[in-house]
Amino acid sequence: MAIAKAERLMNLALCLLGTRRPLSKRELRGSIEAYLEAGGDDSFNRMFERDKEDLRELGLIIDTVENLDGETGYLARRDSNRLPAITLDAEEAAALGLAAKVWQQARLAGAASGALQKLRAAGMPEAEDAYEVHHSALEPRIPVHEAAFEPLMLACRDRRPVVFDYRKANAARPEQRHVEPWTLECWRGHWYLAGWDRDRGAERVFRLSRITGRVRSRAGVFSAPVPDVVTVRETVESWAGESATRSALIKLRSGCGYPLRAKALSSRALGDGWDELEIPYGHGLDAWLVEFGPDVVVVEPADLRADVVERLRAVAKG
Amino acid sequence: MAVNAIDQTRRMLSLVTYLRERPGAHVSDVARAFGISEDELISDLDVLPMCGTSFRGGDLLDIDTDGDRIWWHNPDDVAEPLRLAADEATALLVAARAVATLPGLREGDRQALLRATAKLENAAGEAAGASSRLSVTFEAEGGVFAEVDRAISERRRLWLRYYSPARDELTEREVDPIRLFAVGRTYMEAWCRLSEDRRTFRLDRVAAIRLLDEPAAPPELELRDLSEGLVQPSAEDPEVVVEVGPGGRWVAEYYAHDSAVELPDGGLRITLRASAPALLRRLALRLGADGRILSPPELAESARLAAVEALAAYEVQDGHDGYDGRGPDGHGYDGHE
Repeated sequence: MAIAKAERLMNLALCLLGTRRPLSKRELRGSIEAYLEAGGDDSFNRMFERDKEDLRELGLIIDTVENLDGETGYLARRDSNRLPAITLDAEEAAALGLAAKVWQQARLAGAASGALQKLRAAGMPEAEDAYEVHHSALEPRIPVHEAAFEPLMLACRDRRPVVFDYRKANAARPEQRHVEPWTLECWRGHWYLAGWDRDRGAERVFRLSRITGRVRSRAGVFSAPVPDVVTVRETVESWAGESATRSALIKLRSGCGYPLRAKALSSRALGDGWDELEIPYGHGLDAWLVEFGPDVVVVEPADLRADVVERLRAVAKG
Repeated sequence: MAVNAIDQTRRMLSLVTYLRERPGAHVSDVARAFGISEDELISDLDVLPMCGTSFRGGDLLDIDTDGDRIWWHNPDDVAEPLRLAADEATALLVAARAVATLPGLREGDRQALLRATAKLENAAGEAAGASSRLSVTFEAEGGVFAEVDRAISERRRLWLRYYSPARDELTEREVDPIRLFAVGRTYMEAWCRLSEDRRTFRLDRVAAIRLLDEPAAPPELELRDLSEGLVQPSAEDPEVVVEVGPGGRWVAEYYAHDSAVELPDGGLRITLRASAPALLRRLALRLGADGRILSPPELAESARLAAVEALAAYEVQDGHDGYDGRGPDGHGYDGHE
């Protein structure tokens, strides 16, 4: 019966951490039972390379050292693998405990619990049961539904260029995009990628839910610097029509359209069952106003009025 | 299960460090400290005695348990606290920064979080660098949030003036808050005394809020599992079919749906279930030339009539509107970004 992978990884970690001198692959193979059972050299080599990568994912720094005979040896030095001293009080520990629960994505949820466990092992105090009672009732959650999230997160981390098919909001067909990924940002529950679009030679923001198919990483690492400030939020706000530079005058039936009133710059009652409001006029306002049907009439500007009338005519045709 | 093996290895390495300092630790305490079930802990304890620096020399961890307490008979110095991996630092730091930006967070909690974040950045060293590649912003209405949070901790009833997009009107009601949660936007789950049912309220739709003196008395309810998504349409809800052109494809992104069939022109035929189909009249108006409702026909007709009525106001030269009849229920749109 095959030895479980966790047992094999644990043994490799303990061997590498426990040794004072670099251990050769041969020595490791002789010390770890699972490697003896691995069969031929090829399958052992593949297994060993994968295991080293997995341990590096866990944060282990594994040094590769060549000895006098030209043989490669491996070790995980104590001083480079030790967590620096960190002292957290009970409140700080509880705050991190709350933060660690927000991820709904398996990889990050696992990583967050792993981080807490390392801190716990390093002496982080445990929450008292009583703490829950007077703690904030908030349950923040970070949703991650997009399949593209994990490959893009890894590509951003490792600075690997990616290629994916992307369908713009109003495009019928997806188009292939080559991107140097910079950052991922979650806003209003949706994930966006900012990066350098190689074909367009410009910064672009992509919405992850519009990526179709698989995200593939390209060979190599990109070296162009990532800007300190990436303006995902401003770009998305302008898509959302929230960066209005003009204003519009509308008539709104009394008692209706609270969201429009909440955004109004000014409003006055006209006295005949209608109010007049001045509201910010950004991208998408026409579509929003049409939602209110006969409860809204655009007074000015004329271009907004024309857009709304055109939309209403399309619906009126049935 | 590759992910599980990695998580388990990570956990076992921390476990060894933890157990070294606590001879005879109780299984229940250790499981709680590690945020795992006792069964998971026992399965880790089954693996650990197979691990060590050499199976041949007998250098294996002599860790055993009687199911209640855990003993390590040959503790050694391998077990030092390990540095954080890039993903670990990222997961915790990004989450901590996001939570710290919630406007309604209690000041004491925020301060604790900021202190912890700074210490963590320090301890993570260069592993903290990758955390700048991810960021999360929660939206929350600060004042409303603080009132709800206080009502929950003091178990008090709330009065709300709340915007209902279904009727495009503000309603006043008293609610017994159950919990606050943030999934992109921030929501309150509460027992609504008006509808005598459990309701979810979006904080940005709360027009006014007041803390009442009466104690909250929500009935005992099982909390919903939020990982399934906020909108959980029921199979009994009426079916609505919407056909959109390429310009209306966003509907599939914003509405939970049963199916979305590709059309030859690059559009979609989307079938969804709506607890209040009238809400979708608003969607039909918004779509304009980019889409229409195929069924039910009376819903399509109500959108058409609303548009005809609205157009009339533009055709009356003096701007005086000759219609006073409001349409039936409508309006449920969430704001298309």
